[in-house]
Amino acid sequence: MEIRPILSAILRNKTGAILLAIQIALTLAVVVNAMFIVQQRLKFIGRPTGIDIENIIVISSQGFGSSYDHEQTVFSDLELLRAIPGVKYAAHISRFPLSGGGSRSGFTSTTDSDAESVGANYYFAQNGTIDALGVKLAAGRDFLPTEILTGEQIDNGVVASSVLITKALAEKLFPDGNALGNLVYGGTGDSSRVVGIIEKMHGAWVSWDGLNQVLIFPGLRKDSGQRYLVRTEPGQRDRLIPEVESVLEKASVSRYLDRMEPMSEMVGRSYDNDRVVANGLIIVIVLLVSITGLGIVGLASFLVRQRTKQVGTRRALGAQKYHIVRYFLVENWLITTMGVVVGTVMAFGLNYWTATEFSLPKLDPVFVPVGILGIWVLGVLAAAGPAKRASNISPAIATRTV
Amino acid sequence: MLKMNKISCVYQTDLIETHALRDIDLNVKAGEFVALTGPSGSGKTTLLNLSGLLESATSGTYLLDGEDVSSLSDRQRSSIRNEKIGFIFQSFNLIPDLNLFDNVDVPLRYRAMGIEERRRRIENALELVGLSSRMKHLPSQLSGGQQQRVAIARALAGEPKFLLADEPTGNLDSLMARQVMELLEKINSEGTTIVMVTHDPELARRAHRSIELLDGQISSTQLFGVSAEEPDEKTEAESVA
Ligand SMILES: Nc1ncnc2c1ncn2[C@@H]1O[C@H](COP(=O)(O)OP(=O)(O)OP(=O)(O)O)[C@@H](O)[C@H]1O
Ligand SMILES: [Mg+2]
Repeated sequence: MEIRPILSAILRNKTGAILLAIQIALTLAVVVNAMFIVQQRLKFIGRPTGIDIENIIVISSQGFGSSYDHEQTVFSDLELLRAIPGVKYAAHISRFPLSGGGSRSGFTSTTDSDAESVGANYYFAQNGTIDALGVKLAAGRDFLPTEILTGEQIDNGVVASSVLITKALAEKLFPDGNALGNLVYGGTGDSSRVVGIIEKMHGAWVSWDGLNQVLIFPGLRKDSGQRYLVRTEPGQRDRLIPEVESVLEKASVSRYLDRMEPMSEMVGRSYDNDRVVANGLIIVIVLLVSITGLGIVGLASFLVRQRTKQVGTRRALGAQKYHIVRYFLVENWLITTMGVVVGTVMAFGLNYWTATEFSLPKLDPVFVPVGILGIWVLGVLAAAGPAKRASNISPAIATRTV
Repeated sequence: MLKMNKISCVYQTDLIETHALRDIDLNVKAGEFVALTGPSGSGKTTLLNLSGLLESATSGTYLLDGEDVSSLSDRQRSSIRNEKIGFIFQSFNLIPDLNLFDNVDVPLRYRAMGIEERRRRIENALELVGLSSRMKHLPSQLSGGQQQRVAIARALAGEPKFLLADEPTGNLDSLMARQVMELLEKINSEGTTIVMVTHDPELARRAHRSIELLDGQISSTQLFGVSAEEPDEKTEAESVA
């Protein structure tokens, strides 16, 4: 290979090569960090929720008028919903998980008032709600129908005798692993016995680090609105939405439906910000890579044009076409590699800065070789055209141009 | 060495057809030194390019070193250029970014030749043209005559059978031109066949034979010296139109 003479040719015409190498270095640094952030966000968006969000329809409605009876409405609606073919489960819940709305409180495992409480989202639901969510019990059991408190009881301060908690919360409250059968204390000293441990379930707010800490109390609070979870057979969800809607609309109750959508859409909205960031960064990546690709094409074309006579002379002296292609590809590879070396240092520098200034996570180094490989491939693709053109320069140019 | 039969070359540009060469018959013996003369546009460079496989004739047959080269692939033609032919250009055509050593190395790099052998040939060739002390210089640091000597070294390093020169002294003053001419004569005396285009009648007279082109045809041939082998009289008679 003719690396040394190519390198000395580059070094004698530094400016263009250095500018391109700097552009490549910047591109690598930004693209590597952007890819990393995109990957982080996508991982964040795609975290397992524990909930069967793909097969759930979320429905909420508002009752009105003096004749509205909450408990009656919920029971009759659920009966109607469960009768629809294709509906596996239908249940009520006080708020929808992953909707961005919910209640949070501090809980402990002792009566000791000095004990630090653990923050968690809590919900009121009935027996069967965990089936409608599709969450799995790691231990224990679902609520018994007898455990469900009425709105009246809740208003009168009756404390739930039982509670379901997630494993993540159980591990915080009971590090010894003995959560099941033990008491969980709320802020006022009220306690409920843990009857079941949910393997995994997300709570209300996607950016809260306590997202996995959830409790479900047995009860149906007084409310003018209802929130239903309808879990369908796989693949039936979209087909069932209009049917569910017409069934509820036909029920002679004084209320109006205000939400009827796949749960995945609702959850998707909760991640809007993250998606905007990821999409924005993907656009930045595409733009930078395109501009740099054009830069490589530009410099390679310029070098080919500038050396028309030289290439003709090389051909006259016996260079095969592939020698010419190889010359320009190697030259381009040397320039991109200079950029890549500097870019690698800059990539870690940029990450150090974002990590200290904006407390973003530390760069996963695997993105650097991926980025380098990408830039190399980009370089070859971008230089291939000009190199091919160079190889078609006629050897007769050697005697024809002065 | 070189045998052309009814070679024609037509350039087609938009609406105009230029007949750069018409029915050229030419026979150059091994070891001969032939000068090509003629007015501008008469087809000298075209004939040289065809001889050196830099371009292809429109019609006619061409035997180079006994091999019919009229219908070879680009790859084969490149190999023949690399191994059998040396080129010297009017404007030297050195690569400005490379030092003299690397310039002479250019054609050798297109062969499967080890660095030791290449180094030996480069050093010998630069020695022969009297520039071995300047191997690390760039072409821009040399005079025109010196640059042309580097180009000659580059052509010689490949040990070609056949040296083609298009006005090698065209850009040089008379002193430098004479030095270059002496070098070519020396190379020829060692057995290399040379075809040289020149405008200078004095230089043309120093060849064994001078062929004058006019409008793409051979208009006259003059014999000055005796080549290693006698020119083929029959071909000669034919080519004198
Ligand atoms: N690539 C080309 N396309 C079209 N016409 C060409 C081309 N190359 C040469 N010609 C024409 O062919 C004819 C012969 O050109 P050639 O270069 O062989 O002349 P020459 O004898 O070398 O002239 P000079 O002494 O000026 O170098 C000229 O009329 C020229 O214009
Ligand atoms: Mg000419």
